[in-house]
Amino acid sequence: MSFGLEASSITFREVMESSDSQGKLNHMVGTVEPNDVPAAEGATGQKDTSPVDMLRIKQQMSNQCFEMAVQLNAEKNKRSCSTSEAERDLPEYISELERVKTLHFNSTLTLHRMQMWHAIGEKLNWSDSEADALKAISDRCMGLCSHIKHLQQESKKLQDEITEIQKNRLEMKRVTHEKIKHMEEFSKKEYPDMEKYKAALEKGQANLEKYKKMAIMTQNVLRGILLACKVNWLDDPKLRDIAMTLEEFPISE
Amino acid sequence: MSLLKPFSKLPGLNTANILLVESEEQFQQSLADALVEETSVTVNVRLAKSLPLPMENDESRPRIDLVVFIINLTSELSFQSAEASLKYLDPGYFLGKVCFMVTNARNASSPAERLDAVRKLASSLHCPLLFAEDQTPDGVASATERLLTILKVAAGLVPIATALYVSNLTRCTLPLDIDLPSFD
Repeated sequence: MSFGLEASSITFREVMESSDSQGKLNHMVGTVEPNDVPAAEGATGQKDTSPVDMLRIKQQMSNQCFEMAVQLNAEKNKRSCSTSEAERDLPEYISELERVKTLHFNSTLTLHRMQMWHAIGEKLNWSDSEADALKAISDRCMGLCSHIKHLQQESKKLQDEITEIQKNRLEMKRVTHEKIKHMEEFSKKEYPDMEKYKAALEKGQANLEKYKKMAIMTQNVLRGILLACKVNWLDDPKLRDIAMTLEEFPISE
Repeated sequence: MSLLKPFSKLPGLNTANILLVESEEQFQQSLADALVEETSVTVNVRLAKSLPLPMENDESRPRIDLVVFIINLTSELSFQSAEASLKYLDPGYFLGKVCFMVTNARNASSPAERLDAVRKLASSLHCPLLFAEDQTPDGVASATERLLTILKVAAGLVPIATALYVSNLTRCTLPLDIDLPSFD
């Protein structure tokens, strides 16, 4: 675990002085080579600290100071209350804290955004190569954005049409269902009248059968007479008419 | 008694100091090896078997940002030694600068009551409880990562979060806590 000057992380082992072994001093089990202490100092001194690093370190220091200030304040504002009371109040305080932190964070983000846009605006006002590149990029962005808008409008129109068609279809379905229901109702309602109609229908059909039989019998008789008389009915127009009408009905069933 | 105080010394620039307390002194070595690999910050790892720390090192010891108690669930001695060491910590440490790490939780020979006892301890002190697997390098690596996250917050290296704030989010809770009718 020996390190050069750059990554100087050190481990120390602290051995507790046990009461029965008085002769044993607590020794540092040096898992590093002897130049550990100067290495610690060398790290902070010899690293090239860029501005970003310095900002980071400054941020760390301010965090530490904040923590210490919080501790000092806590000592000042002591009040006595039971643990359960404190436990109950705690979630409210935490949620309030979170709310304020998010608000602060969002405001910082907005501020950064404004600063960025201001810087971009300033840059665009100069005319050097970078500003030209920025202008080209922003023009392209504008073109793409208007294209996006156009496409979005088209898709919105198409979506509206689709919704219209779906509405119509639903309407059709509803009407169809209603009609089917009506039909079912009507087909059930006919029963009291249907008996009468059926009876009438059957009577009519019986009459029809009767008259049909009569007609066929008459036909057969006439045919028989014509054949028996051996008369030439083709020449006589009146006889021919009568013979033609005999063909219309079936001969027998 | 020699309490370990969190704010009695000046903090180091771009450094984070962590103290690993384990009565068996096994896992802390491999953890320490992995922790010092971190390059963005200077991590100083100090190892101890138990608290109180010897007085002789008091001058050269830097300000400790995070104290981690490593408890092996298969040995009762480990738990008791950790419990006994808690007395030697200044109360200021328990506002986010103490963490419990437990190994061998899946081992069949570790009784469930011990894990419950550790959980109760961690939740009563409002400290996070991490589970680690110490036999494989992957386990050590993942435990290191999580420790580093907490360490960076405790050392003030994360701009938005302080240890106290994060401790409210990472504290261990007992499963029964949700059912307790504590809000009347």
